[in-house]
Amino acid sequence: MRRRLLQLIGVAAGIAVVIVLLRVAAIPLAGQTPAGGTEAKAGPPPKTPWGDPDLQGIWTNNYETPLQRPAKYANREFFTEEERAELDRQRAEIIGKDGRRERGSEQDVGGAYNAAIFLTHKHMGRRTSLIVDPPDGKLPPFTPEVTKRRQEMREFQLALLQATDVCKNKLPGCDGGKYGPPSPKRAEAPPYYLSTGAAGGGVINRSDNPEDRTLGERCMGATLPDFGGITGFFPQIVQSPGTVSIFYDTGQGQGWQRVIPITSRPHLPSHVRQWWGDSRGRWEGNTLVVDTTNFTPKTDYQGSRENLHLTERWTRVDANTIEYVVIMEDSTTWTRPWTVKQEFHRQSDKANRHYKEPRCHEGNYGMPALLAGARIEERAFAQGRGPDPATMCTAGCGGFAGGFADDGEESNPLAR
Amino acid sequence: MRQWSTGSAIALAVAAAAVSAVIAVALTRNPVQASAGAARTADGKPDFSGIWQALNEANWDLQAHEARSGAVMQEGVYPFAFTKVPAAPVVALGAAAGVPGSVGVVEGDGQIPYNPEAAKIKAENGEHWIDRDPELKCYLPGIPRAMYMPYPFQIVQSANKVHMAFAFTSTARTIHLDEVEGPPDLTYMGHSVGKWDGDTLVVDVTEFNGRSWFDRAGNFHSDALHLTERFTPISKDAIRYEVTIEDPKTFTKPWKISMPLYRRLEPNAQLLEYRCIEFVEEFLYGNLRKNQLVKRWEGDTIIIDVTRKVPPGDKLYEWYRR
Repeated sequence: MRRRLLQLIGVAAGIAVVIVLLRVAAIPLAGQTPAGGTEAKAGPPPKTPWGDPDLQGIWTNNYETPLQRPAKYANREFFTEEERAELDRQRAEIIGKDGRRERGSEQDVGGAYNAAIFLTHKHMGRRTSLIVDPPDGKLPPFTPEVTKRRQEMREFQLALLQATDVCKNKLPGCDGGKYGPPSPKRAEAPPYYLSTGAAGGGVINRSDNPEDRTLGERCMGATLPDFGGITGFFPQIVQSPGTVSIFYDTGQGQGWQRVIPITSRPHLPSHVRQWWGDSRGRWEGNTLVVDTTNFTPKTDYQGSRENLHLTERWTRVDANTIEYVVIMEDSTTWTRPWTVKQEFHRQSDKANRHYKEPRCHEGNYGMPALLAGARIEERAFAQGRGPDPATMCTAGCGGFAGGFADDGEESNPLAR
Repeated sequence: MRQWSTGSAIALAVAAAAVSAVIAVALTRNPVQASAGAARTADGKPDFSGIWQALNEANWDLQAHEARSGAVMQEGVYPFAFTKVPAAPVVALGAAAGVPGSVGVVEGDGQIPYNPEAAKIKAENGEHWIDRDPELKCYLPGIPRAMYMPYPFQIVQSANKVHMAFAFTSTARTIHLDEVEGPPDLTYMGHSVGKWDGDTLVVDVTEFNGRSWFDRAGNFHSDALHLTERFTPISKDAIRYEVTIEDPKTFTKPWKISMPLYRRLEPNAQLLEYRCIEFVEEFLYGNLRKNQLVKRWEGDTIIIDVTRKVPPGDKLYEWYRR
């Protein structure tokens, strides 16, 4: 009984980092018109009392836009209004459907948390992709080194899944792998630091150490750049002469504070590396331009680690809107730089839809539950009371991801 | 952290109260003239923007205390509280692991007016410091503790909002000078609403969840905590920081701490990350690893074997080994 309970808690709570914003971050689709506010007449972009462009306030991205352009909309930067409405309709239907896998299966347990909390989607935005350059809206190809690193990470993931039912039953989680006996890789460290998201190594089917779990499960999921995603995104900007301060209320209670000095000072010494890099800002007309380098190799944004170089351009185009453009450069990762463009929409200061309490870590019962559950399974197996843990799947098994069942006809229409 | 001799503590407290009273007088003697050199915002208010840090021992203990041999101590040769020696968690760190003395930052008689029940909890907290202090777990430090931890913080002051960014665990607080709705739940860092009283920024802080401590000595509060902070410029590079602390569940009357905050004057001063969530995973979850890095556990009690090697070429050891 205790084992079962811990197992369930471990699986569910391990994925579950504290959610405080999801309820307000997403707009329920069914029966609603697109969110108002930004359509209203907005005044000209204001200035601070000391004459700098004024970016202050609480902001968010009101609309859903895929990072990469779905094949169906190739060569088109914008959806038609009819397409937006149709996509909203399709996605609202998915929310209404029962996305659960077979009851009691590992996929059902693994997806339980996501299925319980991802109950809404934002309305579709105008753009067919966040990526505006390359013009096809697609990520540029990886360099051979990064392709190799991603393959090695995928092989490691598959090695840890190969003795499970995910591979036995040829589920999508085992794509590229095959069923076999427990791999000796189960006793090895991952070949590269297990970082953020699928591109950074994704999840591995093991809980030997906290470091086996994702950065999100470790309450360190907040990264730069941050394009909002599905877990809430509310940057609050406060300025003083010479400094722009941004608190990112993001990533399920994993928010963080960024201070951007307006300075021509060089970056930190190159051996000083940080999770959120080292930001240097300057004003170009009405635009805040921020240059960020010195990332740690523990971060991974779409394959780019310590060599990521961001050039962000924050421009308040009217009282209610910031246009945010960021160029990602890393010649060791991508064959060319690429650019994302996004709009942020002003939120009410008084309503204060912003919660400066990133207390994921303070409430992280998921991590000890995952680790303790795994130790209990190992003991049970050693005493002949339970299955070989190598044959069990607790992560990367498939199920329900980001509001969409991750296989079958219910999958995300934006990924088709 | 262990208790030390009551007699010496009282003597120190009296001495400390005298010293802090002198400092308090010196700081407040001519506030108008003192703040005349303060930086000003476009609308004429004192401008606190910049990187600041407290330079005191308040994070060890708000109250006056003498220096001691280790952050964690055990009984040594003598059976006295004042003769304790460093214990295992810190013994290999030598003089880097002691605790510096302080005249304290508590105003008046230097005492914290705990009710009898809370006084017992405080004493137990002190005895079980490494087991209980939320700082060691890298939890959000709360206010006022974040203001005097040994890490810099940055103030970004605008007309309606004041952001404070803390190096410790990359956390922050916002002081609202305009009207806002409160937070959706009780908080570690409080809900701060500020207003100007002449050259003083007065901040009312409420909505605490009661899970933070004031210091490593086990001083604590409940969710009834109510702070009134006062930020007053002393010069362009120093702020007088005063906090009146009220918590009827814990204290019999309001009490007050005060200290200067100093500007970090290095021309390249910059807030760097101290992302300690990562640093404490071994501390919090080490016993649950499949292959534990710490070899001795009794349940989830960590038992640390300390290794200190004598470096080759150490003249002292070579001499007495002859």
